[in-house]
Amino acid sequence: MPEKPVEQIEPWSEPERIAALRSYAILDTDREASFDDLVKLVAQICEAPIAVVNLIDEGRQWFKAEVGLGVRETPLETSFCAHALLMQDGMVVPDATEDPRFTCNPLVTGEAHLRFYAGVLLKTAEGLPLGTLCVLDTEARPDGLTEFQASALKTLAGQAMAQLELRRALARRRESEETARRAMNASDYVGAFDWDIPNDRVVADEKFARMYGVDPARAVAGAPIRAFTAAIHPDDFHRAQSEIRAAMDSGGSFVSEYRLVVEGQPVRWVVAQGQVYFGADGAPERFPGLAIDITDRKAMDANLAEAAAALAESEARFRAIADSMPQMVWSTLPDGFHDYYNARWYEFTGVEVGSTDGEGWNAIFHPDDQPRAWEVWRRSLETGDLYEIEYRLRRHDGVYRWTLGRATPIRNEAGEIVRWFGTCTDIDDLKRVEQSTELLSQELSHRIKNIFAVVSALIALSAREYPEAKAFAGAVRNRIGALARAHEFVRPHTDVSRPTVGSMTLHAFLEALFKPYAALDGAARVMLEGDDALFDDQAATSVALLFHELATNAAKYGALSEPGGLVNLNTRLAGDRFRLTWTERGGPPVTGAPTRVGFGSSLATISVEGQLAGKLERIWAPEGLIVIADLPATALSRRKAAQKAI
Amino acid sequence: MTARILIIEDEAIVAMELRFVLEDLGHEVVGSAADARTARNLVKEMEVDLALVDIHLSDGPTGVDLGRDLAQEDGVTVLYMTANPGMVRDGVAGTIGVLSKPADERAVQKAVDYALRRRKGEPVDYAPPELQLFA
Repeated sequence: MPEKPVEQIEPWSEPERIAALRSYAILDTDREASFDDLVKLVAQICEAPIAVVNLIDEGRQWFKAEVGLGVRETPLETSFCAHALLMQDGMVVPDATEDPRFTCNPLVTGEAHLRFYAGVLLKTAEGLPLGTLCVLDTEARPDGLTEFQASALKTLAGQAMAQLELRRALARRRESEETARRAMNASDYVGAFDWDIPNDRVVADEKFARMYGVDPARAVAGAPIRAFTAAIHPDDFHRAQSEIRAAMDSGGSFVSEYRLVVEGQPVRWVVAQGQVYFGADGAPERFPGLAIDITDRKAMDANLAEAAAALAESEARFRAIADSMPQMVWSTLPDGFHDYYNARWYEFTGVEVGSTDGEGWNAIFHPDDQPRAWEVWRRSLETGDLYEIEYRLRRHDGVYRWTLGRATPIRNEAGEIVRWFGTCTDIDDLKRVEQSTELLSQELSHRIKNIFAVVSALIALSAREYPEAKAFAGAVRNRIGALARAHEFVRPHTDVSRPTVGSMTLHAFLEALFKPYAALDGAARVMLEGDDALFDDQAATSVALLFHELATNAAKYGALSEPGGLVNLNTRLAGDRFRLTWTERGGPPVTGAPTRVGFGSSLATISVEGQLAGKLERIWAPEGLIVIADLPATALSRRKAAQKAI
Repeated sequence: MTARILIIEDEAIVAMELRFVLEDLGHEVVGSAADARTARNLVKEMEVDLALVDIHLSDGPTGVDLGRDLAQEDGVTVLYMTANPGMVRDGVAGTIGVLSKPADERAVQKAVDYALRRRKGEPVDYAPPELQLFA
């Protein structure tokens, strides 16, 4: 019984083996006599009908040479050699019908009727098996090969491997020649020279000669150094000369960059490199080297340098501006990541440089302001809207200062946000001034209101001494009362001091002014209708006096002097005019204009025509007095109108 | 109908004028105070039916709390009289209402009359228009 060799697990990596096989460039090549002779010889020696130089490729075995098969390749499934490959040196199958690896092989069971196999591995120097040199027989050989046959098979396998190695060496040389050729073609920019110093003969290649504007033929033969250095740009000439001299004096290597000016060519930058060799006497003897055209690189460098310089300058300018600003300046990426703060920010907050990059800034805000600031900032990031917010920012000493934060997005040509630039302005002092101003004006306003009360009381007290002046005092006090009411409506207010009744408009004010004239059941007797309007402190006094006089007069002589009488006050905005029409109804019949003009009437006229720049017209209709005050639309709120005009 | 009235007002002239008006109406002005502490002491010492309370007193805007305390703790009927009625816009529990200063004699008379009727539980149809009532 033939021994059953145990197949090993591949000790190599298959991709590596395939790569090695390919490196021989032998697959699918034509038949070659050297390999053909080899298999013929093997077949003869082993007395076998079939002999093969078999290479195991991916999925197939390919025969470089064969006798007795008549094909160049077969699939791997039926291959004997594929099994042999797993053995250390080779494999002998005396009778395939008795070897479980091959009993079912169609080559054994079928027409081919193969029985005997003997193969020796073809292995690379690294031990990778490429295939086998093998013989096959249709008769079983229980004794295998003779010792001579086995030894011949092994020797000839070595021979086949040697042939393969030769092929590979040739292929590699072709490849390296190709590489060298390509390298030489690529060296358009490199020229070589060799300067024989004692004889002053520079031998240079064609490339070098053309660079320096010397006839190539003359350069190959050798020309004095002057013929070449003449091409050096006048501005670079002396420097280049002294660099050459320095290399010869100090014996070092030589590197020099300079421009070449050759007729009919654009000015070119080259870098020349070389090495000076000295003779036995210590004098410089040979100076070989290369010149490389670096014009393109120089142009690139110049562009780069220019761009870098421009960038550095604009960056430096920005930083100078940013750092000299009284505000804190910061910048973020489009996603809101803070990556820049100016010096003022670090000075104010006292935080480590870089510590507030990213989202660290929020921690510097007052805890109560953080969510709001974050929310506003996120909204701006989403919408691209201007960011503006007031918050308290922690100063280096731990004191929170009111700060105005603003940021604007910077967009590129496509309209996309490429950056945010923002500022923080310390408005704490401003805020304080604002608050104290507010407080002061509140206090002042309160004092004024109180003074009305004091003056009114003073008049009442004074009148007590003179009973005959009682009516007079009452009239004055009522007028002062109207002024006080007007003041209440137009003075600066806080939420707390705001008048309780209605809003701060003309109608609200007039309603309050006419309240004392209401019927006993509280129903108003002066009916307001038409367009409401805002009015300011300048108009308030006049409006208050006008309607105080009209109402007082109506209460004494007109519609309000009788229980059923009413007044209709219509206020109408028409274009640039504001018209107030006071119509009395239900009073005693009017017999005509009074013969004497009272002070109250004069006061009303002065208020309208003097103060409000309007016209006051009185119509003494029999059913009741009609008074029309025709004012410029801006009269009620002159300050606001002036602001609008600006 | 006469009542014992306390004037709480830091402007002496205004207080004096108010005293005359009230006395003309037949009321007894039991005293006037310019600050909250004096007012509280006076209320403890004597019987007071009605207090006319200014909001800004010489010790600050103490009138609001003072009026509330007098009404709720001392059983005094309280009427605010102030140049800044906005300060009590939301009303003060237990007090009648607020009269805007300056107010003429007629307005004072009607407001005081109204307050005293309310104190006595007499029916009152309408409050004087100048008087702003608390709910």
